[in-house]
Amino acid sequence: MSESQPKSLPNALPTSLRLFLSEVSVLFRRWRTWAMLVALAAVPVLIGLAVRFSPKGPPTGRGPAFLDQVTHNGLFVGVIGLIVCMPLFLPLTVGVVAGDTIAGEASLGTLRYLLVAPAGRIRLLVIKYLATVVFCVAAALAVVLGGVLAGLALFPVGRATLLSGDTIGPGEAFGRLLLMGGFATVSLLGLAAIGLFASTMTTVPVGAMAATIVLAVVSQVLDALDQLDWLHPWLLSDHWLDLADLLRQPISWGSFGENALLQAAYVAFFGALAYGRFTTKDILA
Amino acid sequence: MKRIWTRWLPAAAVPAAVAVAVLAGGASAVPPPSPSTPEQVLALVAAHTARQFSGTVEEKADLGLPSIPSQALGPATNSASLGSAATILELLTTSHTARVYADGPTKLRVQVMDQLAERDAVRNGNDAWTYDSKTNTATRVSVPAGGSTAEGSVPSTASPSVPAVTPDQLAQRFLTAAGTSTDISLGPTTTVAGHTAYTLVLTPKTPGTLVASVQIAVESQTGLPLSVDVYAKGQSDPALHTAFQNLDLHAPDASVFAFTPPAGATVKQEPLPAPKAGSGATPKASASPKPSQTGSSQASAAKSWDSVVVIPADKVPAGLTDSALVKQLASPVADGKLLSTSLVNVLVTNDGRVVAGAVPAATLMAAAK
Repeated sequence: MSESQPKSLPNALPTSLRLFLSEVSVLFRRWRTWAMLVALAAVPVLIGLAVRFSPKGPPTGRGPAFLDQVTHNGLFVGVIGLIVCMPLFLPLTVGVVAGDTIAGEASLGTLRYLLVAPAGRIRLLVIKYLATVVFCVAAALAVVLGGVLAGLALFPVGRATLLSGDTIGPGEAFGRLLLMGGFATVSLLGLAAIGLFASTMTTVPVGAMAATIVLAVVSQVLDALDQLDWLHPWLLSDHWLDLADLLRQPISWGSFGENALLQAAYVAFFGALAYGRFTTKDILA
Repeated sequence: MKRIWTRWLPAAAVPAAVAVAVLAGGASAVPPPSPSTPEQVLALVAAHTARQFSGTVEEKADLGLPSIPSQALGPATNSASLGSAATILELLTTSHTARVYADGPTKLRVQVMDQLAERDAVRNGNDAWTYDSKTNTATRVSVPAGGSTAEGSVPSTASPSVPAVTPDQLAQRFLTAAGTSTDISLGPTTTVAGHTAYTLVLTPKTPGTLVASVQIAVESQTGLPLSVDVYAKGQSDPALHTAFQNLDLHAPDASVFAFTPPAGATVKQEPLPAPKAGSGATPKASASPKPSQTGSSQASAAKSWDSVVVIPADKVPAGLTDSALVKQLASPVADGKLLSTSLVNVLVTNDGRVVAGAVPAATLMAAAK
C-alpha cells in the first residue's frame, strides 16, 4: 500500500484524514457554499429586523411560533430562525451539497482521477459523506449564529420563557439554542445520505440535487396528511419540528433519541444503497 | 466482475435489520403475576400507594369524527367559550401526548405537548396555575384551603385549555361510578410502559348504552392504573385510549412543581368553577360543565351507563351551540342538531338545550321531548 511509504506523503497524517481535510477545504473554498451559509444566516437577521422595526409589536399567537418572545429575549431570534429554516431552507442547502458530492466530480470529469489515486471507492464515498455532515453542522450553526448576533444587536437579552412557562437565564438559553442547532444537524443527516445516493445515480449534479430536495418536500407533505398516520413514524421529516421539545422544562429528550435512531436508519439504508451503486457502476468520466 | 450482486447485500440487510429490531421491540415477554380475583385488584387500586411518579401519557380518541388538526381551528381567540369549544373538538379528533409529574395528593404537573406549543397545569399545595404557551397566558386558579378531594382534579378540570386526563384520574372516575350497573371481570395480564399489569374489564349490564366495555390496566405491584381503554359498540379500536408510554415510580424533582408566571405573560385570576348541584355522585365529574366527551360520559356513568344529561338553555355556555365548528360536525335532525360519535351523542335542540349521553341518538331524542 502506498500509504505505508511515509516519504511520499507531505505530512504524517493518515491518508484518509488528509483526503477528508482536502475535501472539506474544497467545499469551503467554493463561493456557492459561502453564499448558502450567508443566506441561511440572513433568515433570522431579516426576521429580527422585521420585528424590531415594525410599527406595532408582534401579535400574540400569530405568525411563527415564539415571535412574541423575541422582544423579551433576543436569543429567540435564533430559535425562530431554526424553526423557519427547518422545513425548506436547511434541506435545500444540504440537498445542493449532498447532490453534488459524486455527480459533481463525474460531471467535471475528475471522478476517475480521484479513483486512480489509491483512495478506494468506499473510502471516497465515506469521505464525501463526512464532508456533507460538516456542511450540515455549518448550516445549522450559521442560522444559530445569525440569530444570536441579530438578537444581541437588536433586542435586550433577559430571562427566556420556555414553552412550559418556566424561565431560564441567558446562559442556559444559549445552551438550549446550541442543542437545537445540534437537533437540526442530526435531522439533516438522513437527507444527506439520500443526496449521496442520488448523486451516485447520475452524472448531472442538478438532477441529484433536485431529487433530494423533492424527496424532502414529499416527506413533509406525507407527514401533513392525517390519513397516513401509520406511515408518519417512518418519515424522514417526522421529527424535524420536534426541535422545540428542547424548549420544554424539563427537556423532553424522547424525540431527540427517536430522531437520532430514525436518521441513523436512513443513513444506514441509503449509505448501503450508495455503496451498492457506486461500487458496481462503471466510471466513464 | 464476478458476484457483483453481493455489493447490494448491505442495502437489503438494513431493512431486514430494522424489521427485526422493530418486531423484537414490540414482542416482549410478559411475566405472569400471581393469580388474582377482580375484588383483589379493586382493593389494590383503592389502596394504591403510588402517589409519586412521573411519566408520559398518550391520549387517543377514535370517535368516528373527521380528524381536525388544531391549526385548522384557527388561532386561539379571547372568547373563552369559543376557545373551549375548539379545545374540546381538538381533543375529540386528534391525539395528544402529555407528561405527568405527581408527588403526593397536592402536587401535580401536567404538560400537554403540542407541536411547537405546550399547555401546562401545575398544582403545588393550594397554589394552582395553568399556562398556555400559544397565547402566553397564565391563569391562577384559587383552590379553597383544604378542599382537595382528589389528586390533581383541580388544575386539570379548572381550565378547559388543558384537556389532560391521566389514566389514574380516569380509572378512578370509572371505578367510583361503577356500581351495581356494571360487571367487573379480570382480563389477561398485560404490559404497559414496561410494568406488568392486571386488566380490569368493566362491562355495562344495560344494553341501552353505546359503551361496550372499559378496560383498565392496573400495575401489579402498586395498584396504579396505567391505561384506560373505552370501547364503543361496533368498533374494534378503542374509542378513547389513554395510557402511560413510560413511567418512573420515583418522586419527581421538586422544582417541577414550582411555577411563577413568566414576565410578559398575561396573568388572569379565575375562581374554581362551582360544582353544579345534584348532577351525580362525583363532584369531579360535574366540574366540567361542557358537554365534553369525558365530562358527559363521566356524568352519565355516575348514575348509570345509559343515563342522559340535559343542560337547560340558560346553563349552556354562550357561543357553544352556534359556533361554526359544532355546526360543521353536527347533522340536522328533527328536533335540532345532532353531534354523533361512536361513543357519545350530543343533541342541541331547537330551543337551545343540550342533551348528551353515551346512548343511541333515538334515546336522546326521546329524552329531549
